[in-house]
Amino acid sequence: MFRIIGDTNIDFIGVRKVAFGISAVLVLTGFLGLFMIWTGQANLGIDFAGGVMVTGHFDEPVAIDQLRSALHSEFPDAQITELKGFEEPNAFILKTKRPETESEGQLRLNRMDELIRESFGDNTFTHDSEHIIGPAVGESLRKDAQWAVFWSLIGIVSYIGIRFDFRSGIAATIATFHDVLAVVGIVYIFGIEFDLLIVTALLTLAGYSLTDTVVVFDRIRENLKKFRAKGEFASTVNTSINEVLSRTINTSLTVLLVVGTLYILGGEVLKNFALALILGVIIGTYSSIFVASPVVVEWEARKPKRFK
Amino acid sequence: MQLSNWRVVVTLILLVLAVMAFWNTFKLWTLSPEDKAAMLEKDPGSLTTLEQKAIRLGLDLQGGIHVVLRVKLEELNEAEKEDAVERAIHIIRNRIDGLGVTEPQIQKQGNDRIIVDLPGFTDASRAEQLIGQTALLEFKMIESAENANLIISRIDSVIAAYEKAKADETEETAASADTLAVTIEDIDTSTIKASDILAELMGDSLVDTAGLFDFDETLSLSENDRPLSSRLDPILFNNRTGISWPGFAVNKDQRALIDRWLNLPETKKQIPIDVQFAWSTRSQITNQREVYYLYVLKRKVQFLGKFLEGIAPSRDNFGGPMVQFRLSGDASARFAQLTGANIDKPMAILLDDKVESAPMIQSKIRGSGQITMGSSATFENARDLSIVLKAGALPAPVEIIEKNVVGATLGADSIKKGFFSSLIGLALVFIYIGVYYRLSGLIANVGLVFNIFFLLAFMAGLGATLTMPGIAGIILTIGISIDANILIFERIREELRTGKTVRASIDAGYNRAFIAIFDSHVTTLITAGALFLLGSGPIKGFAVTLFVGVSISLYTAYVITKQIFEVRKSYKTLSI
Repeated sequence: MFRIIGDTNIDFIGVRKVAFGISAVLVLTGFLGLFMIWTGQANLGIDFAGGVMVTGHFDEPVAIDQLRSALHSEFPDAQITELKGFEEPNAFILKTKRPETESEGQLRLNRMDELIRESFGDNTFTHDSEHIIGPAVGESLRKDAQWAVFWSLIGIVSYIGIRFDFRSGIAATIATFHDVLAVVGIVYIFGIEFDLLIVTALLTLAGYSLTDTVVVFDRIRENLKKFRAKGEFASTVNTSINEVLSRTINTSLTVLLVVGTLYILGGEVLKNFALALILGVIIGTYSSIFVASPVVVEWEARKPKRFK
Repeated sequence: MQLSNWRVVVTLILLVLAVMAFWNTFKLWTLSPEDKAAMLEKDPGSLTTLEQKAIRLGLDLQGGIHVVLRVKLEELNEAEKEDAVERAIHIIRNRIDGLGVTEPQIQKQGNDRIIVDLPGFTDASRAEQLIGQTALLEFKMIESAENANLIISRIDSVIAAYEKAKADETEETAASADTLAVTIEDIDTSTIKASDILAELMGDSLVDTAGLFDFDETLSLSENDRPLSSRLDPILFNNRTGISWPGFAVNKDQRALIDRWLNLPETKKQIPIDVQFAWSTRSQITNQREVYYLYVLKRKVQFLGKFLEGIAPSRDNFGGPMVQFRLSGDASARFAQLTGANIDKPMAILLDDKVESAPMIQSKIRGSGQITMGSSATFENARDLSIVLKAGALPAPVEIIEKNVVGATLGADSIKKGFFSSLIGLALVFIYIGVYYRLSGLIANVGLVFNIFFLLAFMAGLGATLTMPGIAGIILTIGISIDANILIFERIREELRTGKTVRASIDAGYNRAFIAIFDSHVTTLITAGALFLLGSGPIKGFAVTLFVGVSISLYTAYVITKQIFEVRKSYKTLSI
């Protein structure tokens, strides 16, 4: 039998105060990120902010600064990224956000094209993709995403509430929120763009983090039955975490193998998505050990229910 | 063993169904480009049917076009508004039918929106041109050279004055920065200006270097004086009559500037109401320069494209593309009268206010004619012009308010990267699980292969669309499916460590892990369900693959791999 981790007896619950401190910082950054998204100050993708995005390539090499200065006069806040590893060389992604009217998108697109033509002449910029999203569409998409998050959380809390108990439901929700917020915070700090794919990643990691939490809770539930007569709640929880530790690590590693590959080989489009998932897996693993169960322990310590 | 019999039977049935569902996709994916070309040659319908039955690829993967158009109803009166959007949809559909797209979708949205989806069609600019143009074809006469020259010279002086004022303004702003010197400066500049104008009149280029005109300092004096006409090269000349007409070649890089000048309110005042300036649709190469043509037209519409019949693309004697048409009845008589009265004069053919060409009328035209398109047009241009003329003009102009266009290269690139990275990731997982859990790991890997195959087959069977987020969903499914196996194996290992027999350990492992697996799968299903119901477009694609994948994962873990473990129960030791 090949094992990364043998039988362990690490006192995870004992260090919960430290963990709560770390988590508080993560969650606060998350709230900051959320606030910035809410007020529109964060780096929102064009799917949410509305705007124009063009991917295209030049016939001849072009320096990114040249391109920036060509567009600067009329689009000072245009975002320009070089698209590396694409079949066509000299490829760039151009973005301008927050159009004021619906018809502005196409006009902006045409105007950017004109400016490029004026500056680069015969070195033609061929479009490989064009995206125009009006301000209203971005708005409705943002609402859709909010409702999707809201209802899936309601569904999950109810399910865990039924399958376990209300406390576990709340603890699992706290852990899930913790993970999502932590990733939102890190994504915000890194200045990564919040687009539809990032939201997908956030929901994915919510599901993933829940799976992790549920597995630990399942073991706690089982061990509580076994040790009902003897032992103490906190130590039962700690034993449970230790028992499923090798599964937790193993699963996290395999998922990391997949999303890590996606990050390295998946190209520009999937890079941020994969990064958010990598962060999510790491934080999700951390939270199922250091957040979800300790919350239940704290609750039990204040209002004993199981070991009267 | 009773239980395990149904497992084998059900799995076999599912396997057969999956193979059937996936068969067309498999066939399509393994077709080489040559085979595809051959199929298109022999029977284009067969490839289309195959594509319809295979897993549909989303716009982000196969390329394609999604646009939302807004019909500018505000430009119509109440009566015209009535069914304008429906008519526009009808016309756009007819135009798209001319393109030969596999599954175009054209729908009305709200009261003035039209959604157009052209999956797999990747020539974006052509499609946009076809969908977006109003396609109003008009025949107009060209203004006489005398009148045109008069107008142009008046515009010349207006623009010269305008550019000069602009230059002064810049100078004054610079001057006013220094408050003390304002008065002196003012006197100074006016003196300079006076002397400059004098110098200009006398053609003294030495003083001109003061650079009063910021638009082009290198121009000679006459060009500063006649900013417009100095940029126009007359090209429209009737060799037979020796008369020239106001059609001009303009260097490509000057077009934007001239456009700006012509649209100034001061300039517009100089253009009589019955006269208009119009550009050519395409640029041409003459004398190794790329030029656009600028025409001065009489605004009155002489004839309309809607009277044309039997429209078809064709080639003239020199192989140049053109569009042929026929006329009948009143339209024919009207056109004969029009052309008969204007022999030896050029007539401009305009599409959406741009001049396609301005041929000389050589004789009275009755019954049939052609629209020539200039030397730089391609046969495809002629074909597209025929398509829009046949479908008719839109009742009102449309504007694009939302667009999602992915070219073939970018789509292919995404699919390659998505699949490639998934495969590598999958291979890494296979190796890891194989090394860690030995033979049991291999069994888990077999289960994983089944899982992915069933997922793809299910999607093909459902007619679901695979998108980039969908691939991400498949990747997540891999993780979840492996997690189920890890949970079971770790449990079996635990049981083995307590000294239980292989048989008891497998039973206990499967039974105890089941609850955790079931609960964790259900929570993921809840998330996927919420995403499917409330998400839009790409998120839906992710939700579908995740939902189906997780459901199948539950099946493979508890039916397929368990069946294999049932057999292994009788072993003395377990490779795990």
